Amino acid sequence: MAQGIWIIAELQNNALSSSTHELFTPARRLADKSSQALSAILVTGESDVSQAEAQLGHLGADQVITVRHDLLKTYQAQLFTIAIADLIKEKQPNIVLFAASTTGVDIAPRIAIRTEAGLVTQAIDLDLNEAGQLEVTRTRYAESLLSMVITPEARPQMATVKKKAFPAPVLDTSHNAPVEVVTPKLDAAMAKSSLKEIKQAEGSSKKKLEEADVIVSGGRGMKGPENFNLVEELAAALNGAVGASRAVVDAGWRPHSEQVGQTGKTVNPKLYVALGISGALQHLVGMSSSQTIVAINRDENAPIFKVADIGVVGDALEITPLLTQAIQEQHATVNV
Amino acid sequence: MSLHIAVFLKQVADNTKLKFNETGPVLENVPMMLNPYDEYALETAIRLKESAGADASLSVITMGTLSAKEILKKAVAVGADSAFLITNDALAQSDSTANAKILAQALRSVVPNFNLLVFGQTALDSLDGQTGQKVAELLNLPSLTFCKGAEFSNGSITATRETERGYEVHEMSLPGALCMMKCDYELRGSNIKGVMKANKTEIPVTSLAELGITQDQSGEAMSATKTLKTWQRPPRAEAKIIDGANPQEAVASLIGALKEAKVF
Ligand SMILES: Cc1cc2nc3c(=O)[nH]c(=O)nc-3n(C[C@H](O)[C@H](O)[C@H](O)COP(=O)(O)OP(=O)(O)OC[C@H]3O[C@@H](n4cnc5c(N)ncnc54)[C@H](O)[C@@H]3O)c2cc1C
Ligand SMILES: Nc1ncnc2c1ncn2[C@@H]1O[C@H](COP(=O)(O)O)[C@@H](O)[C@H]1O
Repeated sequence: MAQGIWIIAELQNNALSSSTHELFTPARRLADKSSQALSAILVTGESDVSQAEAQLGHLGADQVITVRHDLLKTYQAQLFTIAIADLIKEKQPNIVLFAASTTGVDIAPRIAIRTEAGLVTQAIDLDLNEAGQLEVTRTRYAESLLSMVITPEARPQMATVKKKAFPAPVLDTSHNAPVEVVTPKLDAAMAKSSLKEIKQAEGSSKKKLEEADVIVSGGRGMKGPENFNLVEELAAALNGAVGASRAVVDAGWRPHSEQVGQTGKTVNPKLYVALGISGALQHLVGMSSSQTIVAINRDENAPIFKVADIGVVGDALEITPLLTQAIQEQHATVNV
Repeated sequence: MSLHIAVFLKQVADNTKLKFNETGPVLENVPMMLNPYDEYALETAIRLKESAGADASLSVITMGTLSAKEILKKAVAVGADSAFLITNDALAQSDSTANAKILAQALRSVVPNFNLLVFGQTALDSLDGQTGQKVAELLNLPSLTFCKGAEFSNGSITATRETERGYEVHEMSLPGALCMMKCDYELRGSNIKGVMKANKTEIPVTSLAELGITQDQSGEAMSATKTLKTWQRPPRAEAKIIDGANPQEAVASLIGALKEAKVF
């Protein structure tokens, strides 16, 4: 009988990704509710991952399983899929959670086919019903609808969890978990693709949109790329990331990696500030689940004001620098 | 060796024109459109076909209702050589596992010589982002997701993925599968010649029965997950609007409002 709740941990330059931390909040709740053990699965080609293993214990894992193989040094979907799917078939967990990172989205569907599991993606809430079925709440129809989806019989029940859907738990450094090291049966012939190089996106050192607690986005209302320094300065003052509407991305003012919306990123930060953005539906679908939305637009009828919590009807070119200054003077920091 | 590409296109409701009742979207007489990410899949496939020489071929496949022929004709008008419609009455009760199994089987029968599959990363209505990866796993193919562009040279595909680690350049041997994100180019328009070709092109319709799949094998029986209920997201509360005529005062009251909302 399928037993136990798993988290597939992810390393980003040898440290646990923030979305891995977040997984522990729903996973611990499910584990306690059904009194099942919570295991963290670490898939890596690195020889020393002791720090990450320790952190997984501090995050609340009852057990850590490190799946280690040299072929897993660089990311390759088939090898990661086979390594995890074989472990699932062997140890038969009941529930397996992935972060909806590009890796989670890439391999979870493949793993679901390989293990004949059910997989519900982009979960924003998770619960267990009396029949022990994982009830996943997720969005549909360009974020305008919510659905509750279950995996009636197939096991394991898998889900990818939307970034920022849950807060990360506080680390308990007194809690440690035993580590079991497993060597998967892999060989190079299984991989029919290979990672050649990684190019950094322009200005990629700055905060990633989907992982930021604060996002300040600019639209055509900023009038030109030269005024985007006002957006960047406000974002910096709030320790946040810079976002953009598609209009300014298509106009070449900002890179596509900053685009928020239907064909850009979907974000749900604590605070989203929209500067000179009209609020077209294709933009709204990417940010309407943000906790607090502030909009500055000189048109009082701009659709953005329908989703905003606080709106300022005025000139963003004048108001934004004054807002940045006031925040700096008052050392105002966003509660995250 | 040349490229024989199959592109998977999905017809979705135009979400800006969608109306809702208590149980969910009202799909009767809402304008339909080609799934936005599938436009990038189609343009990418046409560029790959053009770069692969005369004997390359480009087929498009959709599983949907007869109205989905619209997106197939549009695809032929911009560059597809052949188009196939798969009809499935149990589509509404199917999840991405069932769809992937049927699409993989349909592919083998309508485009048996495929060596490259191109999908969109996500369909706007399901927001699953699963089908391409599942078809690839079912056919034991490599797959690259979140792709922004792709090139074909000496028998393999080079594609760039947009990930948290930056832009990853991957090389993939054929046969393989790509799932496309928004690219740095848009789907081309069609000219008169293309439209005339589309109107002349016969679009075969294949039913599940013709694929040897009976009614009770499809839908829920073939699915691993089940949607219990769907409801509209609760609307957000009314916005607190501040007059920005005097920027200095507006900023002061905005800071006050943010404190009140416990943001600071
Ligand atoms: C298939 C498809 C997918 C799309 N995907 C996306 C997507 O992912 N993301 C996205 O953002 N869009 C997307 N769009 C485009 C979307 O429909 C809108 O065109 C776009 O969001 C508009 O961008 P904008 O608000 O910056 O520009 P505009 O709509 O031009 O709005 C500019 C706003 O600035 C205000 N303004 C002007 N001057 C000032 C000033 N001095 N101070 C303050 N306010 C000022 C104006 O009142 C106006 O409201 C998509 C469209 C399609 C068809
Ligand atoms: N019914 C369908 N017919 C053809 N292609 C589809 C269908 N459903 C999904 N796809 C393809 O799979 C991609 C991802 O869909 P989804 O997994 O539903 O997000 C889409 O962008 C299409 O390329």
